[in-house]
Amino acid sequence: MVEAILINGLVLGGMYAVLAVGFALVFGVAKILNMAHTAFYMVGAYLILIMSIMLGFPSLPSIVLAIAIMGITGRVIYKLFLDRVKEHPVAVMIISVGVAILFQEVLLIGFGGHFRGIDPFIHGFVEIGGIRAAYQQVIAIVTSLLALVAIRLLLSKTQVGNAIRAVAEDREIANVMGIDVSRICVITMGISAVLAAVAGAVVAPVFMVHPLMWLHPLTIVLAAVVLGGLGSIKGSILGAFILGFAETAVIFLVPMGAFLRGAVGLSVMVVVLLLRPEGLFGVVFEEERL
Amino acid sequence: MAAPFLEVENLCKHFGELRAVDGASFHVGQDEMVGLIGPNGAGKTTLMRLITGILKPTSGTVRFKGEDITGQDTAKIVNKGIAPTFQVVKPFRHLPVGANVMVSCLCPRAKRRGDWVKTVELRARDALEFCGIADLALEPASVVSHGDLKRLEVARAIATEPELLLLDEPFGGLSPAETELMGKFLRRLHRGGRFGRLHSEGPAMVIVEHKLSDLMKIVDRVIVLSFGQIIVEGTPDEVVRNKEVIEAYIGKEVSSLVS
Repeated sequence: MVEAILINGLVLGGMYAVLAVGFALVFGVAKILNMAHTAFYMVGAYLILIMSIMLGFPSLPSIVLAIAIMGITGRVIYKLFLDRVKEHPVAVMIISVGVAILFQEVLLIGFGGHFRGIDPFIHGFVEIGGIRAAYQQVIAIVTSLLALVAIRLLLSKTQVGNAIRAVAEDREIANVMGIDVSRICVITMGISAVLAAVAGAVVAPVFMVHPLMWLHPLTIVLAAVVLGGLGSIKGSILGAFILGFAETAVIFLVPMGAFLRGAVGLSVMVVVLLLRPEGLFGVVFEEERL
Repeated sequence: MAAPFLEVENLCKHFGELRAVDGASFHVGQDEMVGLIGPNGAGKTTLMRLITGILKPTSGTVRFKGEDITGQDTAKIVNKGIAPTFQVVKPFRHLPVGANVMVSCLCPRAKRRGDWVKTVELRARDALEFCGIADLALEPASVVSHGDLKRLEVARAIATEPELLLLDEPFGGLSPAETELMGKFLRRLHRGGRFGRLHSEGPAMVIVEHKLSDLMKIVDRVIVLSFGQIIVEGTPDEVVRNKEVIEAYIGKEVSSLVS
């Protein structure tokens, strides 16, 4: 039981962490709440389904292709819909929800509401220290961790990462220093969509693919970002893992727990907002700037 | 005759009834260091912000190297070679001092195609070294003293490799020793040359400053602004003796300078 919670918690937590980082990144840099973020994850998973099952491509190229397509889609969606209304947070939320529903409906029309599975890339089990885990789960955990390390390196070691951090901290000053803020926002949106697609690729073979799969992760991602502190990437990763484990524990330990999994994220969000609105790593009041 | 370097013509900025800048016209030559002075609220900072596009003017034009840049986006103007610094220091407080300067090195103007991060880091370090704060490169900007933040502002500005620097109170809040150091350093920057990997053509400068005695030592020409209008323009000596200027300034600081 404990090992099952551990393995599944890591798989879920890793996927939520990858999603939450992308969400937090766009929120921090472009200052938009992109509710379509988990829809990117869903479309990513569907693209893999289309290419690997329906068109019969090998697994690895279809994953790479799906991720690349999502990177472009994210940028296009930002340019097409969100860039024009980014000054109005409510409009951004409504439009991004609209985009997500658009994706959902297109997939519903195209594929119907069926649950579909993708074959694991590698079949079989591995035993590590007496804990049995499917290869696919190990791949999922490792890929999520690699994605998190990659985004950390990108932000801290590259030129574009430096510019992204500067824009996140103070877009006006970044602008005064000659940085094209809206270009950086578009790039960030692309990175975020790529992360969502990576999460989709990671879980597509572990879980089922269906046109409503974006809803549940969305609540979890919002909860993770609130738990970690809005705008803090470190916080959202930690929040995502806490929620991943909490959800798995509820599923395994509480009778009929699988029905309650949706409540976990929302309850955590309510409790955090009541007790510590700034989250684990957030700042209550930003220092007043003149 | 070649077009003047920076040409401001009839620039106006009205906030409702308040005429913050009211028909200001002046020009700055390519090899000039110009002081912009005036009593509090005369519109000096507003004028600077109009030139850099942070504020959009109500009317009038700003031309840089013959090109009309009135009301363009700030990032664009910075990439044309005008770099501003601010009266109130605004570093990226969560980034280390070195990374603060690296951000400037990333603007399209200063960026070289195919630069590795290390090269950019070295260029940023040269800018810091030139400003005398290279030892602070790894400290977060939030723990650095005010004097050093002022120098960081200048380091960030010169890292964009500007042709025209607009400095808003570079001496503000500095001790007399620091002020002297900063003055010498601006003079040296104005002379131009190579500083490590940073190439400086010796940028022209417009300096807004309240510490007149220190300012007069370094500038070639002074423009006096009062209630949004330019009242006098001339060499430091002429300006200090001018009656209108003394009146505008209550006279204290200026007359002490004369004696």
